[in-house]
Amino acid sequence: MELTKNITLGVYLPGETVIHRLDPRTKIIIASVLIILLLMIKSYPAYAVILTFLSAVIFMSGIPLSYALCGLKPMLPVLILMWVFQLFLYSNPDSKVIFSFWIFTATDSGMHMGNLISLRVIFLFTVTTILTLTTSMVSLTDGLESLLNPLRKFGLPIQELVMTMVIALRFVLILAEELDKIVKAQMARGVAFDRGNFIQKTKKLFPVFLPLFINAFKRAEELIVAMEARSYTGGKGRTKMKTLQMSRVDLGAGFVMLIFSAIVVLLIITIKPQI
Amino acid sequence: MDKFIEVINLTYSYRPGNGNEVKALNGINMKVFKGEFLAVTGQNGSGKSTLARHFNGLLKPRSGNVLVGGFSILDKNRLAEIRKMIGMVFQNPDNQLVSSIVEEDVAFGPENLGLPPETIRSRVGWALETLNIENLRRESPNNLSEGQKQLVAIAGVLAMKPECIVLDEPTTHLDPRSRRELLEIIIRLNREEGITIILLTHFMKEVVFCDRMIVMDLGEIKISGTPHEVFEKTTEIVRLGLDFPVATQLAAGLRGKGLKLPGNIITTEELIAQLCLLK
Repeated sequence: MELTKNITLGVYLPGETVIHRLDPRTKIIIASVLIILLLMIKSYPAYAVILTFLSAVIFMSGIPLSYALCGLKPMLPVLILMWVFQLFLYSNPDSKVIFSFWIFTATDSGMHMGNLISLRVIFLFTVTTILTLTTSMVSLTDGLESLLNPLRKFGLPIQELVMTMVIALRFVLILAEELDKIVKAQMARGVAFDRGNFIQKTKKLFPVFLPLFINAFKRAEELIVAMEARSYTGGKGRTKMKTLQMSRVDLGAGFVMLIFSAIVVLLIITIKPQI
Repeated sequence: MDKFIEVINLTYSYRPGNGNEVKALNGINMKVFKGEFLAVTGQNGSGKSTLARHFNGLLKPRSGNVLVGGFSILDKNRLAEIRKMIGMVFQNPDNQLVSSIVEEDVAFGPENLGLPPETIRSRVGWALETLNIENLRRESPNNLSEGQKQLVAIAGVLAMKPECIVLDEPTTHLDPRSRRELLEIIIRLNREEGITIILLTHFMKEVVFCDRMIVMDLGEIKISGTPHEVFEKTTEIVRLGLDFPVATQLAAGLRGKGLKLPGNIITTEELIAQLCLLK
């Protein structure tokens, strides 16, 4: 299957480590706190602390380091471009000039800005990667549903939204396989997808996506009937087979996270920002 | 036997009102009894699927009525109860599974009924055990064969503990072997669990095991009775474009060659028994 192997959405590495065994809610909350902290950090020492923390988590979860970082590769050109832009375009009144040519001047504050933003993107990416690598999509949706549940009081259809996510997860692969079939069927009838200029190539995609969409709607209709036949009437009155349970491990993780956040917040307050 | 489903003068049409109205059902009257195995056959477009979708109120009759366990499907307050009594399995297993984990999908129905978690867990376990697919519990449906997926779909219905299961051409997408296995399971559910089975099919091989069958054409019931009674009406069966079971065809051929075989043979066992009686 050529097209399906490129779909890495929600890649999950099963395991039995402490990180894997944490309640999905704990993991989602910790990841969110980390993301908020990352958005506030503006100095190198604070990043060093985060780096130590994340390294420890990666080590504990047993994820190969290369695996955790390989997702960064396609982002590298963007990161470099961003760094160069910051280097030349950002400056404040008391920044020193490193070098300049023609109309461009590189300043030290620009360089720091570039460094900090790049670090921020890399760490944000690492946090979410660790979350999805150690948590299956199903328990992630379970955790999300449980965390968002209070919002139902304000009339938000949380259960229905999560149901939609569950169904989407199930059909991503089915639709990818179907797309593959249609592409092959069109190729068998003589469509050369790799020939022609941009507009010609784009035009050739219509006979691929049209049947895909029509089939998707047909599937949706059949699925609705099947769900209705199994007594689905929306989230109201539904119970869950799996009930999430916090354990002592979650308590420990929460405690560690609390202390860690306190340290980072202290660093953010006391250390003068780099820019 | 107690009557379980009663269809009274049922009429249904697609796209009513404008010029191209299609009459799918035309004055159907029938009964389904508790605990029986009923087969409904007919060519594509004969109206059998449309009829089946009235049994649990997925479609509403244009005129007439359907009573399930004494409740009308037109009564909105009883619809939940009716759907709990009558489970439905469809043709394409892929389009009826909801979750990416087998056990979660089987739990979907009981979850909708609002049962407590422990009850759901025990029912899911029971349904998977009954169909011998316990080993698939943690699998993703995407990794299963079509036959296994259809078993998961049946388990999902079974976990709701219905009194009756309607199967709408469940074997169409299966290979011959899974088809046989699925049929065996359907027969077992009927005989051992006492579940009323309504099987929609156009494979005559599957029909021969039922207690009673109905042949539909153009939205009407043309023949009904036990398989033996139905397959004796040779000319009508041919006119309705249906096949005969292999044993019946073979017996007819042998009769043409001069063997003295009775006309009501439908299963291989019967044919063998009759052949052994010949001298």
